[in-house]
Amino acid sequence: MLYYLDVFSNWLKAIGLSAWISHFEWLIPGSQTVHFFGLALLFGIIGLLDLRLMGFLKGLPIAQLTRLIPLAMVGFAINIITGFILFAGAPYMFSHNVAFQWKMVFIAAAGLNALIFLVSGLQRRCEALGPNDDVPVSAKAVAVVSMTMWVGVMFWGRMLPFLGNAF
Amino acid sequence: MTQFFQWVESLGFSVWVRESGSIWSYPVILFLHTVGLGFLVGPSVAIGLRILGVAPQLPVAPMERLYPIMWLGFWINATSGLMLLMADATTKMINWDFYVKLAFIGIAVRMLFLIRKAVFGPSPGMNRGIRREKTLALILLTCWAGAITAGRLMAYLGPVSGAPNLNNKF
Repeated sequence: MLYYLDVFSNWLKAIGLSAWISHFEWLIPGSQTVHFFGLALLFGIIGLLDLRLMGFLKGLPIAQLTRLIPLAMVGFAINIITGFILFAGAPYMFSHNVAFQWKMVFIAAAGLNALIFLVSGLQRRCEALGPNDDVPVSAKAVAVVSMTMWVGVMFWGRMLPFLGNAF
Repeated sequence: MTQFFQWVESLGFSVWVRESGSIWSYPVILFLHTVGLGFLVGPSVAIGLRILGVAPQLPVAPMERLYPIMWLGFWINATSGLMLLMADATTKMINWDFYVKLAFIGIAVRMLFLIRKAVFGPSPGMNRGIRREKTLALILLTCWAGAITAGRLMAYLGPVSGAPNLNNKF
């Protein structure tokens, strides 16, 4: 896996993208800032849905919360784009950093969890429930995994300068 | 004033945050600050966007239940923020960007109170109408964007701490 990341990093360096990104003084701090906007949008909405599934925000119909998922995906897309810019600015520094590696693993796990929720029909079943109903236990499990994974992503992201190799 | 800030920086706790090198000091406190941000700004943006007309089928009334979550996020950030401030008081208290951030936060929190009265209060919609609520929501979202930006740029703008462990640049 690391080998392919290195190949990708080599390519980014070869086409001059890393140098170009590092050249613009405010591109990296600006991308970090917008990265936080995307984080707030994504976690604010998904966190809301997870809390409702766990039973904490009864009164909110689940169908209306899942309708916000596309907006959360906008936040995710913003973070993919800004994340790529940040990565490309110093590719080896990130790909060889253990916190970054775990962050990617956690994002993949969160995505897989969401996919299972959708594809298994569990999301459809939850959307059919009333605003104050309890959801099936499997849906609560999905919500707990989701919350853990996204908080974990924020943790690994925050730890990037402090864990693993020195920045 | 500088003497007071130097004294704050010299406290055992401040020294521990700044110099221990432990992951549980500066890094984890920063992480908690991010979590608090998520709890405060996330639902706040949801409420603000809903007032502005995004996802109109989402019932507004139950969203008042988000307020305790937001206040939890606020206090997590006030506490972690104070810890971060204590570790680097002499530099932060003369950083104009820090005060810009505090101003944005103050206005945003004020908006949350006003929105609570206007949108969730005893006579919702009767208090000077929808246009005012939408204005409050717009100011709310703008101020959170401003607070997040000012906060992130504190590592780059104004006087930056020379302390090696307090490097918050990526």
